[in-house]
This record gives sequence, C-alpha cells and structure tokens, in this order.
Amino acid sequence: MSILYDEGQQAIATESRRVLEARVSKEELLPLLETSGRYHEGYWTTAKEQGWTALALPEAYGGLDLGLIELGLIAHQAGRSLSGAPFLTSNFGAAKAIELYGSDDQKTKWLPGLASGETIGAVAFASGANALPARPALTLTGERLDGVMTGVAGGLAADIAVVFANGPGMPVLAVAELADVKRTAIATFDNSRLYADLEFAGTPAETLVTGGAAREAALHILALQAVITAHEQAGGAEAMMEIARDYAVTRRAFGQPIGAFQSIKHRIAEIYGLVELARANCIHAASREGQADFITAAAAARISATEAYDTASRDCVQIHGGIGVTWELGLHLHTRRARSLAIEQGNLLFWEDVLVDRLTGEAA
Amino acid sequence: MSDLDAYRSKAAAWLESMVPTYGKAARKGLSEADDLALARKYQKAKFDAGYAGINWPTEFGGQGKGHLEKVTFDTEEMKHGFPSFYFGISLGMPIPVLMQFGEDKAWVKERVLKALQGEEIWCQLFSEPAGGSDLAGLRTKAEPDGNGWKINGQKVWTSWAHYSDYGVIVVRTDPNVPKHKGLTYFWVDMKAPGVTVRPIKLVGGDSHVNEVFFDDVKIGDDHRMSPVGGGFAVAIATLMIERYVATDSAGFGPHLDLFVELAKDTELNGKPAIEDGRIRQQIARNYAMRSGLQSITARAMAMMQAGMTPGPEGSLNKLVAVRSRQKLSELAIDLQGSDGFTYDDHASQKEDWTSSWINAPTGRIAGGSDETLLNTIAEKILGLPQDHRPDKGVPFNQIPA
Repeated sequence: MSILYDEGQQAIATESRRVLEARVSKEELLPLLETSGRYHEGYWTTAKEQGWTALALPEAYGGLDLGLIELGLIAHQAGRSLSGAPFLTSNFGAAKAIELYGSDDQKTKWLPGLASGETIGAVAFASGANALPARPALTLTGERLDGVMTGVAGGLAADIAVVFANGPGMPVLAVAELADVKRTAIATFDNSRLYADLEFAGTPAETLVTGGAAREAALHILALQAVITAHEQAGGAEAMMEIARDYAVTRRAFGQPIGAFQSIKHRIAEIYGLVELARANCIHAASREGQADFITAAAAARISATEAYDTASRDCVQIHGGIGVTWELGLHLHTRRARSLAIEQGNLLFWEDVLVDRLTGEAA
Repeated sequence: MSDLDAYRSKAAAWLESMVPTYGKAARKGLSEADDLALARKYQKAKFDAGYAGINWPTEFGGQGKGHLEKVTFDTEEMKHGFPSFYFGISLGMPIPVLMQFGEDKAWVKERVLKALQGEEIWCQLFSEPAGGSDLAGLRTKAEPDGNGWKINGQKVWTSWAHYSDYGVIVVRTDPNVPKHKGLTYFWVDMKAPGVTVRPIKLVGGDSHVNEVFFDDVKIGDDHRMSPVGGGFAVAIATLMIERYVATDSAGFGPHLDLFVELAKDTELNGKPAIEDGRIRQQIARNYAMRSGLQSITARAMAMMQAGMTPGPEGSLNKLVAVRSRQKLSELAIDLQGSDGFTYDDHASQKEDWTSSWINAPTGRIAGGSDETLLNTIAEKILGLPQDHRPDKGVPFNQIPA
C-alpha cells in the first residue's frame, strides 16, 4: 500500500472534514459532558449516511472494501472535530474480529448490520491496567459468559461485544449480544464516550477463535483499533496546535503578539514536531496492514499519537492562560478526549511493552 | 524492480566492493594525513565509477541524474564508514554555488572536475565570532583596492579550511546600509598571502573546524559571485541548495539496536536491564520517534519520485534526532555504571555511546541550532511572528555593538 494519498483518498479527507465541520459544534458537545449516557447522535447519523461504518469492510457483506488508510483519514477528521461517539473505532474492531476469525454464518449474521451502522459493536478485552490480561475478567463455560467488564468504550449503547475471555483451559475470543446484559453507565471526565460496566450472567456467546491463536487475534484487533485511534489522536493534536497558533498571532502582550515570544513560539513549534511524527507513524502503520511488522508499526503510531495529543492539549491550554481553563471556551473537550483516547485500546504502558517485546524478539 | 531500486542495488554492490580498501577497518589507526590521502583516492574511485556529482549537469562533469539517485547513493554510502566527509562541505555547497554563479565557465569546470576527483577541496567562510545565527551581522569587510578588493577580518567554525584550496566567503562591502544590504559574495584562494588558518580543537578531541584570519588579502573583482551588496541572497541560496539530504533518524549516533543489545547484556538489580520498565520506556519512545522520522523521509522520497514537492516536515530531522541521540547516549553511559567511564577519542560516533554523547552538542549547534530551527519552523511553517529585531532597517554602522 502506498504511503502517498491518491486523489480518492484526499477527497475522503476533504469531504469528511467539510461534513464534520458543518455538523459538529462545541455547543452540542459541551452539554454531553454534564450527563452520562448521552452521545453525539448527529455524528453517528452522519457516519452511517456517509458510509464510514461500511468503509473498511468487505463488499460481500455490505462494505465498501476500502481499508485502514481511508478509515484513518476519517478518524483524523473526527479527532479534529471532537466528534463524540466511540463507535467508529469499536464498530470497526468488532466487525474485523468477526470478518477475520468468524465462520461464514457468523459473518452473514453480523457484518451487514455493522457495516450499515444499524448494529453497534463494542470490543471488550481490558481488565484495568491490562489491555490484554493473562487472566481475563470473563469466563466462557459452554456457550455462556460470566463476569464483569469494566469501562467498555461505547458499552452503554452497543448491541454486541467481542470479548476476550477464559475458555475451558485456554483463552477465547467470542462475540455476545448485549441485549440482556446488565449495564451501568460510568460517570467519567469524557461522558460522551458512553463508558459502561457490563455484567455478564450466563450470557449466550459464540466462539470466534480459541487457544494461543485467540490471544494473537485479540492483539491484532487491538492493533487495528489502535491505528484508528492514533489517527483520531493525531487529528485532535493538530487541531490543538492550530488553535494555539491562531491565539498566539492574535493575543497581544507587552506591545506585540505573544507568538513573537520564543517561550510561546518554540512551544508551538515543538507541538508541530510531535504532530508530524504522529501523523507519519499513523500513515506508515495504516500502510503496513497485513505485513509482518504491522503490530510494531501500530505500537509506534499509538505511542507517538498519545504523546502528541496529550502535549498539544496541555500546552494549548497553557498558551491561552486563564481563558484556556474556562468551561465555555471548550479547550477542555480536547484535554478530556486526549486522556480518554490514551486509555482506550490499551494504555501507553501496554503499547510500549508490546513494542519492546517485538524489538527484542520476545513477542508471543 | 523500479529504476530507482535498480540504481540502489547497483550502487550498494559497488560500495560493498570498496569496503576492503576504504571501509572502517581499512581506515583504523591511520593518521589524519593518511586518512585524507585515502579519502582522495576513494573520491577518485567514486568519480571513475560514475558516483561523483550524481545530480550535477554533465557539462561540468556531473552525471546528470536526479536528486533521488543522489540521496539514494548517499544513504547506501552512509552504512560503511567511508572517508567521504572531507568533501562534504566542498561538494555540498561551495561547488554547486560556483556552478550556478561563477562567471568564467572554463575555470569553473576545471575547479568542479578537480573537486569531484578529490584533488581540490573548498570551504565555506560564513560564520564569524560575532555572527552565528545572525548571518547578516557579519563584520569581515572588503574594501575597494585598485581594480579589486582587500579583505580584513576573521571567520570561524570553517570546516576543513586547513585542507582547503579555495573558499567562498560573504563579507561586508558597505557598512552604511542596513545589515542585509551591505554584503557581497566572493571566492578566495586559501593559499593567498594574508590568509591564516588556525584549527580549533573540539570537545571530542578532533580539529576539523578552524578560525580563519584575513589580513589585507587582495582579490580581483573577477572573484565576485554576486552583485556588490547582493551577497545575502547568494548566501541564502547556498544554504537552500539541498533541502532533502540523506538523513539519519539516529541523529548520526548509534542505532537503537545497539542500545537494545546493551540493555540485554547489562545486569541491573540482578536482572537484565531490558526487563526494567524505565529502560523499556526509553527504547519504545525512541523507536516511535525514529520510525516517525523514517516515515517522513520515506514519504518525501516517494513524493519526489512522483514529481511532487515534499512537505516541510523534513526540517524536523536534525532537531528531533540529535536531541534524542544525546539523551539516549547519556542513558547508555548510565547503564554501564562504573564501566561507563572509558573513552576513546578515535571511536566511531555511530557505534560508541561515549563518543556519541561527547560529540552530540556539536550536532545540536552546527547547521542551525535547535533554537534557530524552532524559530524557522514557527515562522516559516506555522506563520508565527518574527522575534523582536531592534536592528531592523538600521544602517549596520549605527547598530550598537
């Protein structure tokens, strides 16, 4: 896959940016923070209408047969606009798990709904600090799941979840319908992500893959999601950099724009470096899907994008001074999102370990 | 296989065949004089094989190929530790400027051919004790003298001046106008009477840079390579000649693999250091940073190959890579603890952490300091305002010293 965007891909970037800028506003996003259990429905409707849910899925199941590069471009724009729904990533992750590891029956059953966006998918692997725990929180007995998954992104609204569980003496990747699962919304610093605890109690589940292959499969799904999330983070970081730049050229102090002071201009130039490194790693990772070094590239993208978004949002607020910490200005929407995305799909510590394991040849 | 891939593999094979004669092992233990003599032979071999002046016009003895072939060759060449750096400045800037701005084409061609074959070396006389980042603040002056000019003043940080036959120089010819407007660009004969070259010993123990003094050095007006007062533009053109050069995401220090090996081999608190989270974090973050730079470079190459202009993010390379090399080298010395004191000033900066560490500050200053690069990124890419410049528009001789 080329590392240069072709005309079609550039059009996806331009069009998705145009649509999101027109349909997502700070005024809609701020109120979502003050209650739990609500998300930006306008964004999700847009995603379905625009075919973004179908983008990277196979044509045979209602998809558009494009790939990570195209979905990444949209995620980048979603990150810029702070579009408040977690499903672009988790829906894709759940669909890829079924596409790559499911049977023909399972694909026929789930993929068309996930592609159209009528079915919302979640991915639930993590247990606290462990993105891919040695002892998963769920147990699969026969075809029934038991246990509690905490902090599942999108978990409050999802129709199905792909889970990593303890099977009979071995790990297993399974898919379960969530209709009868007890869900508790979590009050969080980024409420529009619909984080929820899911309580499985004899919930029917279908196995996708078992044994050592299940762990590998789960890591692969996490890596796919990590690349999408990294694009979203890079987009958010880029937006924060531009907001900081725009403020620095207009706000004046001591008779000149504050952007003329090196303490400010160098800070923004440093953010530029982080944003470009993250973007480069994202493009590279998206182009390596299916190659032996994909996990390594995904980890690198994830690490640099997390650093870029956190730093950009931190420094952008600092450059604004007092106005930067007001509710109304809304920079905190990015500050919050930078942190929530840093935890979704495995934290920095997890990806650092995955990367070093790959570099030292100790990968599973 | 694309044409460029074919070019790369042919160049790689040729370079491989040169390793026994000119590679690291062959150079080990040589005095600088012997190393330079070997370097001249290597440069001649490159010329004979068609790898000198790769992207230069054939009318001057170049190969008439593209910039991509040049960067491709340089990237392959970098892997072997050949003594090519003596000619880096000479062929990098003064000679291309000479081809572009030199008036006497026959004379220019003779110089170019001799430089390409390693017979002659040129230096670039820009920096001065009082003018580093502020190139336009130069004080070395040239005054009219009969039909020519007379130069007085001092330059500094002039790489390879002690081996140079010629140099290009920017001097002040009119102190009565604002600083950018009073500069003129010349070439000088480094063996001319009144030119004194004094090597400066650097922290790493080597002396490849010099102070150069000019005392009543007389040159003809035919040495002039810009309009009188038009030297700043040519100087900037010199600095812009090759925006995309062969880069090294390791900041021209050791490869990350060497750090991973060190961490595997070193015991820390009774366990291999590679199991220590602090060490793992540094490895992971360095990898992510370096892979980002490599992806930027790969994308720039692909864009050039497609006839497009690469983005400005290539300017990040030196800034990001050398800083991280400096810190990783510190950590590598820490990791060796009491075994980390040893130092060999002949060790390679690419393979030895201590040598990499002690020489890293040079990389953060030469060719634009971190601060200058950050200003350039902020102003040229992000559109932030210039720093406050009290000397703007003021005639040079009225600027308070």
